[in-house]
Amino acid sequence: MKAKTRRILFSLLLVLVLAAVAAVMMGIGRGHTVYFDNKTLEDYQGQEYKAFEKVIVTVKDEQVAKLAKRDRGMSIWIGQNFKMILEVTREKGGESEIHEIDLKLPYSVDGIVINLPALLAGRASWAWKTAGAISER
Amino acid sequence: MSKKPRQNKNVKHLLMDNSVPLMFIVICAICIPLSGFSPSYLINEIVTRLGRNLFLVLCLLFPIMAGMGLNFAMTLGAMAGEIGLILASDWQIWGIPGIILAMILSIPISIFLGYICGTLMNMARGREMITSYIINYFINGIYLLVVLYMMGPIIPIMHSSIKLPRGYGIRNTTSLLNMRQHLDDLLAVNVSGVKIPVLTFLIIGALCLFIVWFRRTKLGQDMRAVGQDMEVAREAGIKVERTRIISIILSTVFAGFGMVIYLQNMGNMATYTSHSQIGMFCIAALLVGGASVEKASIGNAFLGVILFHMMFIVAPGAGAFITGDSMVGEYFRVFLSYGVITLALIMYEAKKRMAKSRAGRELAEAQVKKEDA
Repeated sequence: MKAKTRRILFSLLLVLVLAAVAAVMMGIGRGHTVYFDNKTLEDYQGQEYKAFEKVIVTVKDEQVAKLAKRDRGMSIWIGQNFKMILEVTREKGGESEIHEIDLKLPYSVDGIVINLPALLAGRASWAWKTAGAISER
Repeated sequence: MSKKPRQNKNVKHLLMDNSVPLMFIVICAICIPLSGFSPSYLINEIVTRLGRNLFLVLCLLFPIMAGMGLNFAMTLGAMAGEIGLILASDWQIWGIPGIILAMILSIPISIFLGYICGTLMNMARGREMITSYIINYFINGIYLLVVLYMMGPIIPIMHSSIKLPRGYGIRNTTSLLNMRQHLDDLLAVNVSGVKIPVLTFLIIGALCLFIVWFRRTKLGQDMRAVGQDMEVAREAGIKVERTRIISIILSTVFAGFGMVIYLQNMGNMATYTSHSQIGMFCIAALLVGGASVEKASIGNAFLGVILFHMMFIVAPGAGAFITGDSMVGEYFRVFLSYGVITLALIMYEAKKRMAKSRAGRELAEAQVKKEDA
């Protein structure tokens, strides 16, 4: 009887450990496809955010996009804490500036589109668009 | 004087016992130069295929330990692994976490299917291999029902990239691009152009250690006792049926893990067919390595995967060189691979019958001697 109880307890513990590991994997392994738009965002909450002349996006030490006006780039990312480095040239012939961006990606949203001019203008934390609707966090 | 015939007999026995691997070694030795592949290419391919297949082949050792022969129903575990991968893909869990999640998701399905399979095999004692082969087809039908009709309306599938355009069921090919070779690449070492997937080999090594350790445990000893003689084991107080079911469950669970490792290496999954051939390939590889229906070791699995997959790589090239048509080489490989399974099974049955008749003859002679005395 004692051995049986011990076996049941051990089985329950094993199930709990596996469930916990699965939950952790679901948290840290959530994959995202992140799109970056260098597009003018017109009349967004009464304001306009103009596209930059050139933006170079670097993710994990790898250049993933070189965006001119009206361009879109993309990157894949695993986890919720997205990090990228933006090298932005605001106007033609202007100096480039470096921005290190840390974003918390929403777990339940797929195909996140980030409008870079709005993001760098400091709209709340950042602006994003999914399935045609623009939202802000 | 008497030593020489005994030595000859030993050599003959050695050749007889290892006839299948020796035959394959000879064929590979002939085909390798004809195929025209460089040694580095061959080594690279073999290392990749070892990492991809060895885990699956090793999971066949548990039922052999319990005297249940070659477990064709390891396909059940493969199906469980595939369901785990489909769900992980749909939930967008990528990379190593996706692989681990798929493995964890496969466990309850594998245990359930393994239990059903073990129970059915207990009912069909003595005919385990053919039973497992047919169970494989039966459960494949259920797998099709689940994946083709239940995924979507009953089991929620969100992403249209996985779902069929009609709105339910899974597409013929599921992309695992975001998991592709993540396990193999994590601690990979490049030795003069040969990529060695260290982490995958460490996982395989862990399974080998588990098998060695498991053989020494009470359950492992019970399994071996059941494999040698069920009635004697029962008399000794071993729960024979339970032990046999556990061996099948272990095999099925590890087959699920093995399938996940296999598919993450491939990078995509043929949803309805990728499991169907896996049992046959793994059993063929184990038999090529010199295993039999009642005896197999980790060494057999290693040698088998190397020789069987060497054949896979060089046969089309050698066929193209000899006949000018690589398809002939492919036919030759298929013929030889499945011929090996047939040959090994016939040799096992013939040996068993010979041993039985020898024992009968010896008993009769002993009785005659006793009567004469």
